[in-house]
Formats: sequence, structure tokens, C-alpha cells
Amino acid sequence: MKELTLELALKMIEAAERWAREIAESPCSIAVVDKAGAVIAVHRMDGAGMATTDIAIEKAWTAVAFKMPTLMGSRWLDPRNIGKLLGDHAMGMIGRGKGRLCFIPGGIPITDEENEIIGAIGCSGVPSGVGDISDTTVSQAGVTALYE
Amino acid sequence: MMNLMMAKKLLQTGVKRAREKGMFCSIAIVDENGWLVALHRMDGSSIPTAEIARDKAWTAATFRIPTSVVSQLGDPKVPGYGFNVQNWNDRLTTIPGGLPIWESSHLIGAIGVCSQTPKEDVLLCKNILKDIFGEKRDLGSERRKTRKK
Repeated sequence: MKELTLELALKMIEAAERWAREIAESPCSIAVVDKAGAVIAVHRMDGAGMATTDIAIEKAWTAVAFKMPTLMGSRWLDPRNIGKLLGDHAMGMIGRGKGRLCFIPGGIPITDEENEIIGAIGCSGVPSGVGDISDTTVSQAGVTALYE
Repeated sequence: MMNLMMAKKLLQTGVKRAREKGMFCSIAIVDENGWLVALHRMDGSSIPTAEIARDKAWTAATFRIPTSVVSQLGDPKVPGYGFNVQNWNDRLTTIPGGLPIWESSHLIGAIGVCSQTPKEDVLLCKNILKDIFGEKRDLGSERRKTRKK
């Protein structure tokens, strides 16, 4: 079982930052949390909004708490699903987890070789839309760097 | 001006110094308005230290004084007693270990450290600032004149 250390967290954050700077061309905040949801490292790039650090941490926390990318959970909060099918939405999620729950896409859990979740990475501040550019892909760049 | 590069430099110095001493700590760097720029929690340090370090840095940056001085303002014997029970953005702390960072008499940010005891925190804070800004501060324009031989 691999332990997520500060060194590994920084390696991931550096890679995600490089991706955000060179490909997404948008400043953002990146946070890495351990398997308990506790922050290991946060970086806010120059020019990124000041609230993005908190949102990045919350995304990473949510990803590790639900053991799934926040992109998957964001479907639950889609108001179009209300009334369609029983149990197809989870509006009650809003405000849970002492306000830390955040289902905006951009948080991804990190797994080790045995598919155990050892932490999560979250990114906030990248405007999504064109092509592959979004918070999720910046986080993915970070996760990829862990196994390079 | 606090930017990520400066914050990384401060954090690297801090983590290196803490490792040399065998300490586990969290270090937070905020900009001049108290907003988080970077935060590192070392392996082995307890979970709440990250948030405490951030609170210390916030307090130092927004009050523009070290958190140890803030704690003096909250002394029951002084007239300012009571300000520390107000809700300042949920972040006010009077634990020593946060220092504002000045560069040529401009506030550029603040640093907060949380490890085992406040005494060690203050020492680590001061050592980090000495490592990064030490030469600049001791050989500042005002002092150079007086030291001239």
C-alpha cells in the first residue's frame, strides 16, 4: 500500500500546474488531500481567484469522502433529474458534511496499485468548455504524474 | 508582492529546516489580504495543524502584527480585552507562530507555522524569514549608512 507523502503530493501539484499553465493557459488552485480528507498541500497560482483554494480543498475532500470523482456526483445535483425517477437526484446533499461537500467537477480520488484510495486531488479556477480544458483534466494531469 | 514562486521558496526552506530538526509541521503562506497562497502539511504532522497554521497566517497578515502580539492585546489586564472573542471570519487566533512578511516597508504577506509548541513555531518562522530575507534586511539602505566603516 502506497502512502501519499508530501513529496508525492508536490510532484502531482507541479505536474497539474504545468498543465494548467501551458495547455489550459488559465491560473487555478490545486489541492491534494490524504485518505482521511486532510489537506497535504495547496497551491494557488498567480492570478487565480482568492476563493479557489477553498473550493479546490472541498472538491478533493468530496472526492475522497465519496470515493468517486466529483464529476460523477455532480449529476445528483442536476435539477433536471427531480421527479424523473425515484432516487435519481440528491438535492439533500447541499449543505451536508459541515459545508465541505462540493460536487463541482474537478476532484478526483487517487488510487494505488491495489485500487485502494490513498487520497484525492482537486482543482478549481479553470473555465471549462473548449475541448479538454476543465478543472477535471487539470486534476487528471496531476494523477497521471503520480505513476510516471 | 507575494506570488507562488516566493511562497514555494518559503515553504521549501521551512520544510527543509523542520526536517533537519526532526519536527513535523504545517506551514501556510497567505498574501497581503490574508488569502491562502500555498500550504504544506508535512508527513506525520497532525491533521488540525494545517488549519491552525492557516489561521495564524491570516491573523498576522490582516492585523499586520505577529500573532504573539495579538495575544497581548487580548490580555484581560489591558483595555483591548474582548476583541479576541469576536468572530473575525472564524480565523482569529492568538497562538504565537504567525509573522507578517515585510519587503521594503510594504506588507507582502504572512507566514504561519504550526508544529508541537508555539515556541518552536515562532523560531521556525523567524529562521525562514532570516533565510529568505536575511541579507536584504540586515543590509537595508537605512542601516548601511550607520554601519559604514
